Amino acid sequence: MPMGHTATAEAGSGGLTATEHRLANGLRVVLSEDHLTPVAAVCLWYDVGSRHEVEGRTGLAHLFEHLMFQGSGQVKGNGHFELVQGAGGSLNGTTSFERTNYFETMPTHQLELALWLEADRMGSLLAALDDESMENQRDVVKNERRQRYDNVPYGTAFEKLTALAYPEGHPYHHTPIGSMADLDAATLEDARAFFRTYYAPNNAVLSVVGDIDPKQTLAWVEKYFGSIPSHDGKPEPRDGSLPDTIGEQLREVVEEEVPARALMGAYRLPQDGTRACDAADLALTILGGGESSRLYNRLVRRDRTAVAAGFGLLRLAGAPSLGWLDVKASGDVEVPVIESAIDEELARFAEEGPTAEEMERAQAQLEREWLDRLGTVAGRADELCRYAVLFGDPQLALTAVRRVLDVTAEEVREIAKARLRPDNRAVLVYEPVAAEAETPEAAETTAEGTSNDEESAK
Amino acid sequence: MTELATMDFHPQPRPGTARPWAFPAPERGALDNGLTVLRCHRPGQQVVAVEVLLDAPLDAEPAGLDGVATIMARAFSEGTDKHSAEEFAAELERCGATLDSHADHPGVRLSLEVPVSRLPRALGLLADALRSPAFDAGEVERLVRNRLDEIPHETANPARRAAKELSKELFPASSRMSRPRQGTEETVAHIDAAAVRAFYERHVRPSTATAVVVGDLTGVDLDALLGETLGAWTAAPAKPRPAPPVTADDSGRVVIVDRPGAVQTQLLIGRVGADRHDRVWPAQVLGTYCLGGTLTSRLDRVLREEKGYTYGVRAFGQVLRSAPDGTGAAMLAISGSVDTPNTGPALDDLWKVLRTLAAEGLTDAERDVAVQNLVGVAPLKFETAAAVASTLADQVEQHLPDDYQSTLYQKLAETGTVEATAAVVNAFPVDRLVTVLVGDAAQIEEPVKALGIGEVRVVRAE
Repeated sequence: MPMGHTATAEAGSGGLTATEHRLANGLRVVLSEDHLTPVAAVCLWYDVGSRHEVEGRTGLAHLFEHLMFQGSGQVKGNGHFELVQGAGGSLNGTTSFERTNYFETMPTHQLELALWLEADRMGSLLAALDDESMENQRDVVKNERRQRYDNVPYGTAFEKLTALAYPEGHPYHHTPIGSMADLDAATLEDARAFFRTYYAPNNAVLSVVGDIDPKQTLAWVEKYFGSIPSHDGKPEPRDGSLPDTIGEQLREVVEEEVPARALMGAYRLPQDGTRACDAADLALTILGGGESSRLYNRLVRRDRTAVAAGFGLLRLAGAPSLGWLDVKASGDVEVPVIESAIDEELARFAEEGPTAEEMERAQAQLEREWLDRLGTVAGRADELCRYAVLFGDPQLALTAVRRVLDVTAEEVREIAKARLRPDNRAVLVYEPVAAEAETPEAAETTAEGTSNDEESAK
Repeated sequence: MTELATMDFHPQPRPGTARPWAFPAPERGALDNGLTVLRCHRPGQQVVAVEVLLDAPLDAEPAGLDGVATIMARAFSEGTDKHSAEEFAAELERCGATLDSHADHPGVRLSLEVPVSRLPRALGLLADALRSPAFDAGEVERLVRNRLDEIPHETANPARRAAKELSKELFPASSRMSRPRQGTEETVAHIDAAAVRAFYERHVRPSTATAVVVGDLTGVDLDALLGETLGAWTAAPAKPRPAPPVTADDSGRVVIVDRPGAVQTQLLIGRVGADRHDRVWPAQVLGTYCLGGTLTSRLDRVLREEKGYTYGVRAFGQVLRSAPDGTGAAMLAISGSVDTPNTGPALDDLWKVLRTLAAEGLTDAERDVAVQNLVGVAPLKFETAAAVASTLADQVEQHLPDDYQSTLYQKLAETGTVEATAAVVNAFPVDRLVTVLVGDAAQIEEPVKALGIGEVRVVRAE
């Protein structure tokens, strides 16, 4: 049912607008029109991720995501892939800590097909789910794990750091790919129960963006999704809240066959959706984003102790975010040399704060990243779902840039002083050893292959 | 078996009427200094993409200095006559811009992306880099050391390691293509600022270069802007270099690069074949897609979706280099990784897929779906300015007409099942494929020998 949001562009939205609607079964729908190219993106976010998994069943959300491509009531086998690709569309699905998303980008005239397919599996997956697809996709996912994490140098660094940064028993202690043992242990009944618990219209947000007729689109959404019954009873995810800081420096030394020493770190940072998180993003960009950052200048250009040095931000809404440090040593340089230089730079930044020019640069970089993300219909559809699922308001996607540009230098300094300190980090040190491979272990997982903190189906 | 859902089912919907879409036609011109310029207005694309192609191919690198083109490409963003290296990086980032540059067989390419509001400033920086790069001795030395530090990381990466070995196997030692694009430890160590400047002076000039500018250019006086920036770049003209012919030895054989303890085997199975100038190209694209373009193609249907041996195996054709006279070559390859214990069975299945394809051909249904995908995805694929710019730049680099991509879509649509079958079977003949496996030789050598897909040789771990 339309909720009557107006389609007037807000300042800082680049002229983009979105309207929100809700079906009687609880499915939230976000529509955004853009007729420049004859394409339409469909994106469906289910409010379930690896944080909902229980002990002994890590990796289940992601394995399940793969099963969503194995057919449903009216779709045979690999039909989902075949029909979308045969219609000139592209598609995938990914699983992260906090959500599972499925998306199709279609030529405009094939939009209805994508909606039909998504509705079919939302309403009738269990009509097709069987042992054969379970066994096959279990093997595929195990090979995904080997290819992306276990068989590449430093491949399991993210998994190890996450396990350090979030305590045992915390919902974010394990990453979406899961462990081999748990992947082996998952049963068909686990998958069925997972679907019955989390895959419901009232636990999802659907966005459709691009060359669409909103009225017609909404009518199709009602036609295909409207009769899928809602159901309650989804358990609340375990509480992800933690104190603002870790309170000590956690440390693990990994001796493994890697090409060079490495120093990696995870700092506990404010949750996504807060102004302090945006301030932290700017701090990390100034310190470790791109090739004019403080750490790059110090370690790579001046000291020449590192091959690469940078910071990244993993934004999380249900637990503290992670500031992710990654430095690969140059030649025979020892880790303490690098570590003391980093501590010096972070301490100096916490005292002095950013210069006006550094703020300008960091804000320009983050603004550019937003332009990239909102520059495609698929990127926009994903961001609208993200803000709807995690923060209850898709419109926030369209004003996100403005919020980053509003942050002051003093706020950036404050967050650095409070959080970017040695007693608020988990550190992972890699010391190379010769031959004899060990088994190392990452944040998102995908259906077809993607970024490090995401797992996908393809 | 099942629980029946209680939703209302509807028949699969039929498509609506397609809205016409065409690959954008660029406008071609030249600046007074001889720089060729292609421009293309893409409404709504606020991030503008600029690609600059330099006629500085890898085969022009002096003997023993493999990697000098790469170091030069990187040194373009390490300072000019106006800015130090740190200042240059800072100024670019102040524009919200990214500048990537890399050297490959056809030449050196610089890719700038920047919000249109800051295009003038960023184009100024790009022009400075090309016109008057500092090539400071200390910065070049740092880039050389940095490059030397990268090499062990590449060697440790199974996919990179496999690519390096395949090039070495396929091409004669005298060919630049047989050696790593970015040089080896030995050659890179000999590169200094003087070598970089000499390479620059010999091969970088506006008269043999092309700039491609794509994005929402509403309100941008591009002629004036280009005149003030890239137009200020001068150098004595020179003739384009002739490209050496590409030859390759694709007699069927297997090379195992030993990685004791590896939990997976990286596969790279390849040879050299027709480039885009060849009439067979559209059929080859189509057939290759049917073989291994996606998760529902023949290879993954068996290796992934039936057997679960892999997260995915792909077949592809990638142009190595093309010449103005219409000669050239592409790498045709199949790549992916499979778990160690199933390496033999996976290769056996892979060869069975190729043999079955050769014996029975593609089906009409397969061909139709492939055409619908390859042609249908075009508007999605070219949504961003960067995607359009990159394809236009590829066309220039490969000496193809500016309307090549749009014509390709027509040709794909006209290609029949028989032609596509012939093209892919010729592209991947079972007895003329060089197979590189990066994996645990102790576990995979015997099972691979038993397959009879060629002589098996093991390269010990470095």
